[in-house]
Amino acid sequence: MNVQEGRELLRSWREDNVRRSMDVVDLWDSLLSQDPEALGDEKWMVLEQVAVAAMDVQRRDVVERCLKRLKAEFDLDSIRVRRLYGMRHEMMGDWESALKLYDTILEEDSANSSARKRKIAIHRAKGERPQAIGELSRYLNDFLCDTEAWMELCDLYLEERDYAKAAYCCEELILHNPNNHIYFQRYAEIKYTQGGMDNIEMAKTYYAKTLSLNPDNIRALYGILLASFQLASSNKMPAPKKQEFMKMVMWSSKQIQKRYQTKNAPIDPSRFIQAFVSQPPNGQSGASS
Amino acid sequence: MSEPELRLDPAIRIWVFLPIVLITFLVGIVRHYVSVLLTSAKSVALNQVMDSQLLIRSRMLRENAKFLPKQSFLMRRHHMNNEDNGILKNQLSRTTVQPNPMTDPSMMTDMLKGNLTNVLPMIVIGGWINWHFSGFVTTKVPFPLTLRFKPMLQRGIELMSLDASWVSSASWYFLNVFGLRSIYALVLGENNSADQSRVMQDQMSMQAGGMPQDPKQAFKAEWEALEVTEHHFALKNVEVDMMAVVGPTGDDLYHQNQKSIH
Repeated sequence: MNVQEGRELLRSWREDNVRRSMDVVDLWDSLLSQDPEALGDEKWMVLEQVAVAAMDVQRRDVVERCLKRLKAEFDLDSIRVRRLYGMRHEMMGDWESALKLYDTILEEDSANSSARKRKIAIHRAKGERPQAIGELSRYLNDFLCDTEAWMELCDLYLEERDYAKAAYCCEELILHNPNNHIYFQRYAEIKYTQGGMDNIEMAKTYYAKTLSLNPDNIRALYGILLASFQLASSNKMPAPKKQEFMKMVMWSSKQIQKRYQTKNAPIDPSRFIQAFVSQPPNGQSGASS
Repeated sequence: MSEPELRLDPAIRIWVFLPIVLITFLVGIVRHYVSVLLTSAKSVALNQVMDSQLLIRSRMLRENAKFLPKQSFLMRRHHMNNEDNGILKNQLSRTTVQPNPMTDPSMMTDMLKGNLTNVLPMIVIGGWINWHFSGFVTTKVPFPLTLRFKPMLQRGIELMSLDASWVSSASWYFLNVFGLRSIYALVLGENNSADQSRVMQDQMSMQAGGMPQDPKQAFKAEWEALEVTEHHFALKNVEVDMMAVVGPTGDDLYHQNQKSIH
């Protein structure tokens, strides 16, 4: 690979927001570090990208080199360079200095979302979950359409086991992109974990949506199996509905077994699925009656 | 006609025709770099970001709410639209202050810079070319034109007898101003600020379009649209869809299964 190809590869990663930090740093070591000047005007962006990637993999030497070069060119007046220095402080665990830097950025440009997100990230890194949630909620109040932030808030609430709020965040993600099967799957999982017959039924619906978007989502298939089984084994369900759910259990277990047969999977789950299905739910045999 | 009706002095080509091309071109290049030097990066106010994101979210809610449970949709709509403190409702009662160019110095300097790089060189260079190169017939377009084109192509030469396809020096300058756009794009890349014709278009559309519109209107429209949105749950029959996509229907399997059990 020559410099030209490496630079194009880096550009495509940069534009698609791919986080392949190891590869980026490897590319830098093997190709670009000898002569960064050869990149022309693009070199500043490459330096920024490499610096962030090197922070990811704790390559302090690379970070120092990139930041020095950027600082020599743009000085600390540049908000972008200042943010990078803040991230370097974070890498070193020097939270105070990082916060100070981010605050100076926000003083200059109150609409700078990345600095605000870095501050939230510091809370997370320090393990201060309640503060992180508070800050992130305030942030989302201003930037309502930041899906990345909604995703993070969803994660935080899950860690707090606050499933109702996590579900809210996940709904927000679905609103922003109703074609992403992962969002539906996650919503279904949250609903299933919340428990209660209504929620599990909702979870089953959303697992079904996930599967219709992506028929290869095996996790959703298991989800349908579990949710249907739960519903079928409930005492409060009327008998005809139970039949329906048991059908679903049969269908999904068949599907799962089929997948494992065709894909030469290392394990064969059919035995426990069989065992799982054949135990009659709460004394009532749904399938074979 | 074997003789051309006019024979132009070759000196006109060297000292009028080419200099005009060169001057307009170089002025365009200089303008580009001066405006790059002068433009200040536009910083977006937090308020504007919030407003636009709120509108986007409300639109998303209207379009994609069918994928959410009804309860969630109603909750969100209430949050946006309720009478007392819905966030869209609040925006409606917010008093918006129209930015006043007289009180906002940064707007003034921006306008001044714009004028400095756009209007001023146009007047100065145009005037100078008119004065310095006035009265020359510089070139001829290679096709016949009707008399209507005379004021456009023969500015500065009031000769009834001259054929309309002859071009005067002042008109040649204007042709250059408008015609060099693609050359600038070639030399400076797209989106350069050397092109004057775009500036003129901007000025014209500015008068028609007027000031940036009131965000209140947008909020009101969004509020109304959200108010009348109905919720139809799109996932009602999703299990049927899913079975169609994923594999044979559960019924078949069920019967097979029954058979195998019996």
